[in-house]
Amino acid sequence: MAKVLEGPGMGLMKKWGIAVPQYVVVTSADELAKLGQANEWMKKSKLVAKAHEALGSRFKLGLVKVGLDLNGAVAATKEMIGRQVGSITVTQVIVSEMIPHKEEYYCAVKSTREGSEILVANCGGIEVESNWDRVKRLTLDVGQQPTPEGLEKLAKDAGFSGALAKKMAEFAGKMFTCFDNEDAQYLEVNPVVTRESDGELVALDAVTLLDGDAKFRHPDWNFQFAAEFGRAYSRDEMEVMAVDSKIKGSVKFIEIPGGDTAMLPAGGGASVYYSDAVVARGGKLANYAEYSGDPPDWAVEVLTEKVCSLPGIKNIIVGGAIANFTDVKKTFGGIINGFRKAKSEGKLKQVRIWVRRGGPREKEGLDAMRALKDEGFDINVFDRNTPLTDIVDKALQNK
Amino acid sequence: MSILANKDTHVVIQGGQAGVNAARRMAEFCYLIKRPLNVEAFVYPPDAGKTNEIPYGSGLIAIPVYKSIAEATKHHPNINTSLVYIGADRAMKGGMEALDDPHIKVVSMITEGVPEKDAKLLGAHARKLGKVFNGPSSIGIISAGSCRLGVIGGAFDNLVLSKLYREGSFGVITKSGGLSNEIIWICSQFADGITTAIGIGGDAYPGTDYVSYLEMFENDPQTKAVVIVGEMGGDLEERAAEWYGAKKRRIKLIGVVSGFCQESLPKGMKFGHAGAKEGMKGEGSARSKSDALKKAGAIVPPTFGALGPAIKETYQELLKSGQVKEPVEPAVLPRLPKSIEEAMKADEVMVAPLIRTTISDDRGDEPCYDGYPASELINKGYEIPHVIGLLWDKRLISKQEAEIIKRIMMLSADHGPCVSGAYATILAACAGIGLSQAVAAGMIMIGPRFGGAVTDAGRFFKYAVDNKMSVDDFLAYMKKNHGPVPGIGHRVKSLRNPDKRVKELVGYVKSLPIKTPCLDFALEVEKVTAAKKDNLILNVDGTMAAVLVDIGFPIDSLNGFFILSRTIGLIGHWVDQKRQDSRLIRLFDYLVNYAAPKRREVPPLK
Repeated sequence: MAKVLEGPGMGLMKKWGIAVPQYVVVTSADELAKLGQANEWMKKSKLVAKAHEALGSRFKLGLVKVGLDLNGAVAATKEMIGRQVGSITVTQVIVSEMIPHKEEYYCAVKSTREGSEILVANCGGIEVESNWDRVKRLTLDVGQQPTPEGLEKLAKDAGFSGALAKKMAEFAGKMFTCFDNEDAQYLEVNPVVTRESDGELVALDAVTLLDGDAKFRHPDWNFQFAAEFGRAYSRDEMEVMAVDSKIKGSVKFIEIPGGDTAMLPAGGGASVYYSDAVVARGGKLANYAEYSGDPPDWAVEVLTEKVCSLPGIKNIIVGGAIANFTDVKKTFGGIINGFRKAKSEGKLKQVRIWVRRGGPREKEGLDAMRALKDEGFDINVFDRNTPLTDIVDKALQNK
Repeated sequence: MSILANKDTHVVIQGGQAGVNAARRMAEFCYLIKRPLNVEAFVYPPDAGKTNEIPYGSGLIAIPVYKSIAEATKHHPNINTSLVYIGADRAMKGGMEALDDPHIKVVSMITEGVPEKDAKLLGAHARKLGKVFNGPSSIGIISAGSCRLGVIGGAFDNLVLSKLYREGSFGVITKSGGLSNEIIWICSQFADGITTAIGIGGDAYPGTDYVSYLEMFENDPQTKAVVIVGEMGGDLEERAAEWYGAKKRRIKLIGVVSGFCQESLPKGMKFGHAGAKEGMKGEGSARSKSDALKKAGAIVPPTFGALGPAIKETYQELLKSGQVKEPVEPAVLPRLPKSIEEAMKADEVMVAPLIRTTISDDRGDEPCYDGYPASELINKGYEIPHVIGLLWDKRLISKQEAEIIKRIMMLSADHGPCVSGAYATILAACAGIGLSQAVAAGMIMIGPRFGGAVTDAGRFFKYAVDNKMSVDDFLAYMKKNHGPVPGIGHRVKSLRNPDKRVKELVGYVKSLPIKTPCLDFALEVEKVTAAKKDNLILNVDGTMAAVLVDIGFPIDSLNGFFILSRTIGLIGHWVDQKRQDSRLIRLFDYLVNYAAPKRREVPPLK
């Protein structure tokens, strides 16, 4: 799943005929001031300014300002740009027109195993979250399109009536078209409001999750996907991502500040069991990492260097199940090179390394790891006869 | 018995190199269980009409490649299963093509990164047709003792260690490819092994879920228990729990779920497979899945580590109740033939080498010349003449000798466009011939009359010196046995018009504190011959030859100095013509003396 920020998310909705407020995304207060001269609506309407970053609780952080005139918006932008929140620096602000409205509604489309579900409620904002039973659903099989009658029934079930029911049905239909054509996995508009000026339904806020795997057929996805965990990617994380995008197989790396147990396991499945084992043993994860699909040794070496550079680590878990086709000797060769490099840079002092693995050329790979002992590494190597996560138990025994 | 894949499974593989690699692994399994290869065809349009060679035992089997599934099943009507190894952007089309073929009942997709919508469409289409669509991102399916689809099971040794050559009693369903092997291994160590293991792929919405396969296992009498390895995200495990708890089931269900670490991670941080994403309202967490399975009566070990003992306990119960019997292991199992390299490493065979070399070795991280690493030579100040010394005479020559060789090369690098070698190269260059062939054309000219006399000159001067001959005796000997003395005589140079190159070289060598018996002798010879005829001087070939013999180079290498040096010039001439974009040249009529018979009538053919 790939999260998309509000700006490009609203862009996609607009593309499929959903009414959205007028908005601009700016990187400086000057830019906004100039845009204000060029755009009538910015002078006439009340404005909202929000930090355009993958940040949660922006309201609490003072990164959402409402009811502004243009000067107020410029001032708010000036204040927000450059603000540091954790590892994120605010670099963009989205300024949109405020839509005067009375009622708020809710509409979403989500992916399900069979296809998708269209969700509609005749309440919105925070109200819908505490009244989840008022959300009505229309279930669709993959490849199936909703009928106008079906959508209208959905709107009526949700408590809409008359002309508004028809409008809501149309709005939900457009949401589905956008969802279906843009390979979305989740689209949510909360709130949907009736614009007092013309009675149109307008999407005030958008949550957009797209299927990153479908990027190849969407040349107009010219925006970057946002990190999903409320912070920006670190330099090391981005370096590993850059390697990952270039190679056969994969390497993954996410830092978890404050941990003392570093992870360097193989496989998307086994890596999570290893993480579970660390947590179950009372350990603190310093990172998540994973390599799989027989990646080249140099990519594993880069990953290893990043893992070895994590601050304050006491153990490194080089775990892995019995590989199907990942060459153990070759990938371990990359890890060994990474270890040597880290050691020559003065890292890995008082760090214990724990290895468990099986698969093609396991004996050669494990022997090479064992030989690191002679180079002064504190390394413990186990083969397939030691159950998968036992090395975590051994590593964290004294906790 | 088994499910999905068995002895009657006949396979077409859609895709290129990844598919061929899978076929190799499948052939290893077929060899282990002594069955013919179950891959009958490939579909890969770029290679249509060719064959892929798949090793089977010590032989090779040629498997045809077709343009389309229809063509493959037309020629191989037994095919009932397709494995898809096509790139994510074309995977859906390939999968649909396979599903739509009436022969094919099972399609398993290995491709990773397939858009979710495509996977759903494939799954829905398969259900509509009553077929099985497995994957995407599946590592494969393996039925012990009968059929392997994909690389699941790993290397040959692992197949044997995991006892995949014969049936056990446990079914396995996993999302993770890596863990499928681990579970198969655990089942073989803590119990009697597996019936069938299926990788359903780690995506959010795999084409076929646990429930469909659990239903199949329930109907397979050989399978007594099923191990499922789940992940957080989605609701496949909950559905499996619901199925298991719905009524009394014959099979025992053992399940583990990963993702408990999520509870202590910063909010929103998720990792693992694509499908491992927690739902909007806390649904799909590891805990809710694990609780659902427990509630449904499944055996749920608290950690992955406890899985082995749980499987063992289940197996012991099955043994006690008489539902399974201890398996009988076959006395002998086929062993995968080793490659020559592997067998040599294990000291099992000796191979008589085809060639023998005594000068260089490139098997390390860089070439070694006569044992010396090239980089070390460079870093310690050695130069090209030293490399020549190492490769032509297997010795590290002195600085002084290197200087002599350098000068010889500089003097012989080129001699203008008119000499045979350069002219031939230029002619070729003008005809549009490439560098290596044009230079080779120039090289061909090197022989007894042009540049090729160095070796012979050296040989005869050395012969004379070794045998302490006088100049007169030598000339008489040459006249009687060989003819003109190689290294003596020049087409244009003479006593009055001396060859500056010879003067330069002789002057330099004579200024050094070394003994030069051959050069001295050659100069004595020149005195006599040049007195007889003005142009019978010691030429550059003869001078080089004498000097090189004096500094100890073997006779057979001597022409090499001219060939090597002149190559510099020949390459220069080719590049020069190329840069000028020279046109094709042909001789003018007036440069030819037409001495052939005058035009005449052809007599009738007899």
